[in-house]
Order: sequence, then C-alpha cells, then structure tokens
Amino acid sequence: MPIGNLDVPVIGKNVVIAVLVQSHILFATFIIGAVLIAATSEYLGLVTKQSNYERFARNLARFVVLLFASGAALAITFVLALVTLFPVFFSVLQNVFFWVFLVEAFMFLGQIIIVYAWYNVWDKLAYRKSLHVVFGFIAGFLGLMAMTMIDAVASFMLTPAEVTSQADLVARSFLNQTMVPLNMHRFIGNFSYVGFLVAGWAGWRYLMTSREDDREYYDWMGHYGLIWGFGFLIMQPVIGYGYLKGIRESAPDSFNTIMLGDKSWVFNLLVIWIAVMSIASTAYFVHKLRFAIRPMETLRKLSVGALGFTALFTVLNIIPANANLIPQIGLVFGQGEATKIPLGSMYPWKYIGLIGLMLVGFFVIALYLRATATGFYWGRASRWSQFALMACAVTVVLTMVTMGYTRETARRVDNNPAYLINGCVKLDQSLVSEGCPTEPLTEGESK
Amino acid sequence: MTELALLLQDGNGGATAVGIFHFFVGFFLILTIYSSFLGFTYWISKDE
Repeated sequence: MPIGNLDVPVIGKNVVIAVLVQSHILFATFIIGAVLIAATSEYLGLVTKQSNYERFARNLARFVVLLFASGAALAITFVLALVTLFPVFFSVLQNVFFWVFLVEAFMFLGQIIIVYAWYNVWDKLAYRKSLHVVFGFIAGFLGLMAMTMIDAVASFMLTPAEVTSQADLVARSFLNQTMVPLNMHRFIGNFSYVGFLVAGWAGWRYLMTSREDDREYYDWMGHYGLIWGFGFLIMQPVIGYGYLKGIRESAPDSFNTIMLGDKSWVFNLLVIWIAVMSIASTAYFVHKLRFAIRPMETLRKLSVGALGFTALFTVLNIIPANANLIPQIGLVFGQGEATKIPLGSMYPWKYIGLIGLMLVGFFVIALYLRATATGFYWGRASRWSQFALMACAVTVVLTMVTMGYTRETARRVDNNPAYLINGCVKLDQSLVSEGCPTEPLTEGESK
Repeated sequence: MTELALLLQDGNGGATAVGIFHFFVGFFLILTIYSSFLGFTYWISKDE
C-alpha cells in the first residue's frame, strides 16, 4: 500500500470521512443554493424596485463570501483524510475520474473568483445592475458544475457501470445509471435547503429584534425563504422516486437494503422529517393568509383543508410496512417482518401518500402565491409561525444528514464489510470484481 | 483492517455497541462543526 494501513483511534476512519463530508456538504449546498437565490433576488429587486430583495441579496452574498472558507477548508481536509485513510480507493477513483476531478477543481476555482468579484463590485456596478446579476448567476453556474462533477463520482460509487473499453471508461462511468437523477435531486435540493434555512434564520431574527422596520423585513424574509424551501421541496418526491428507480434497476441489492431490509427505518426517518417540514410550512401559509392586504377568506379556508390533507398524506408515508422497525437496536414488535401493519405497504399507500403530498403542496403554494401577488401586512406574524419556520430550518439539516447516511449505507449490501464502490471495491479496499473499472494506478494500464 | 471489518460485520446486520457509539459520535460532530462554523461566520459579520 502507498502509505500503509492507518486507522483512527476511538471513532474509526469511517466516521472521520463521514463527518468531514457531511459537514462539507452542509456548507457546499448552502453556498451553491445561496448564490443562486441571492442572484435571483437581486434580479427581482432590479425588476420590481422593491428594496427588500436588494437588501436580502446583498446580505446573503456577504454571508456566502464569509462562509466560503469553512466549506473549502472542510473539502480540503476531507480529501487529505481520504488520501491518508483510503489510499488504494482514492487511486482507483483517480484512475477513473482524473479528468472529472480536474474539471471540478477548475470549476471550484472559477466559482471562488466570481463569487468574490460579484460581492466586491456590488457598489461599483450599481448602475450596471444587469451585468452584476450575471456575475451572480455565473458564480452559481460554476458551483452547479462543480456539484455535477462530484455527483458523477458519488453516483458511480453506488452504481458503477461495467466498462469494456477505454472509451467506455469516461462516458459510462461519468453518465452512470444514477448520475442524472442524483444531480437533479441535488439541484432542486440546493434551493429547498437554503430556502428553509433562510426562513428559519428570519424567524429567529424576527423574534429577537425590537425595531419595527426590522420586524417587517424579517417577516418578509421568512415568507420569501419558505416559498423557496417549500416550493422546491414538493418537487422532490418525483425526482427522488426517479433516483430510487435508478438504484432499484441497477443496484437492486442496495435498493432492498435501504427500502425493504434492516435499514429501511432510515427512510421512515426521512419521511418523518418531510412530514414536519410540510405540515409546518402549510400551517405557516394558513396563518399568513390572515394578513393578506386584500382579505381572502375563501383561499384561507381552502388552505386549511390543504393542511388537513397534508397531515393525512404525510402520516400515510410514515406508517412502517411491518413491525420490524429498527432491528439493529431490538425495536421489533410481534412477529417482526411477518407482522404487517395496515396502510404500511409501498403499493399503493406510499405512492398515494407521495403523490397526494405533491398535489396538495402545489395547490397550497398556488393559493399562497395568489395571495402574495396582492401583498401582506408585514411585521404582524405570531410567535408560533416563526417557530414553525425555525422547525423547518432544523429539520432540513436533519434531512440532509439522514439522506447522506442513507445513500452511503446502501452500499452495505452484505455488511461483510460493505463496499466503497458497489460490487467492486470492499471497505477494506480489496478489489473483488474483474469487470469493474477499478484497477488502481499501481497495477498499470486500465481496461 | 481485519478489526475494522469485524466491527462492521454482524451476520444479521445488527448494530454493535461500537457501531451505535460511532453513529452518535458522527452525528454529534457533524452538528457541532456545522453550528460552530455558522456561528463563527455570523459573529465575524454581525457588526458590519
């Protein structure tokens, strides 16, 4: 081995990688989503001449600039940890994805340069606002491209394509079976995640501030963040379904592990988080409609009905299929897998739940946007509505962590000792399959 | 490496005490790093 077989005391090397990557992703996703939302907001400010958009965009851009170092530092630390703790695995990845990593590095570099330039010339380009907005979108685009590159690697680890020629190595590895759905899932997720965090932060500031103008601003900001957060969240069931379908078709063992097997509780956990966000968001919308400038009692009654349906559909998603809840800690009732729970099966109940949640979500946000067009009285929101926003922000972080764990644990198909690259490289970095594009650099020319 | 494999191995996929410990340590560390970095960034920017 290039640098020997190292381990980390107490917590083990798996946890080190997981902690660094998950922490990095929480920042990286924030930065990509925040740049795109801030650029869009700046553009909306330009078009509508409403000062809130400009204030929001500039503050968010400043926060991104300051936060960039944290995200980047974690990324570098993660790569260092990976090279040190999993050297053979890293050389395998380099062998397959050298050009992808190179492109990602340059996208990252470009993103840094443009983000800093974008923030720095805010005043200088005050009279060339369109050009300035373009800076923001280019920075966001470069971030998305960097994300796309690493998504190719992450999706490849779960669904590696069989490679039979040098030409296949790049094309089929990059565009492996789950790359596009994963990328779409994360693209939408960027907006949703940042939207909920913005809303939660606004809720906190609204409760803390004593100035009337700030109360109005943070009330607006909570509403604006939640439109992003919830609006993009309700697209995720369809895209997430496409992603899972890709996993089921190309890595059925992994699909069974996370959806039907002993680890299916992670998906139950995930839908609990989605339930919290959906119900809290809809409740917020119902509350907010009371403050519409033009009274909209009918819309409000409809949204109360939508809240009831949201609760119904989310509960339908949460019900486990059988009494084998979390076998790892002994949380098993009755006969375990043999004890079926009514309304718990995937077909048709989970499909009804997910489709219903989406339809009601689109319905309620359409009602809310209708009311938004006529405006609200800002600064009058109740305390509990702000707590709902903060609950969404906390829950979206838990969702991110749970989803990251779910995707990575899907490669523990036999748990003996699980895979780094599914079906190709084991967790102990041993190569197990001849058909995989996994020959490390030390073993000469790749297939 | 064998020790690591043994830690993760459990015929029926059941969690070991070490596995559960690792899970919660990881979870705690992620949230600690995240919240402290965010808090620090807010702290250095709030007086502007």
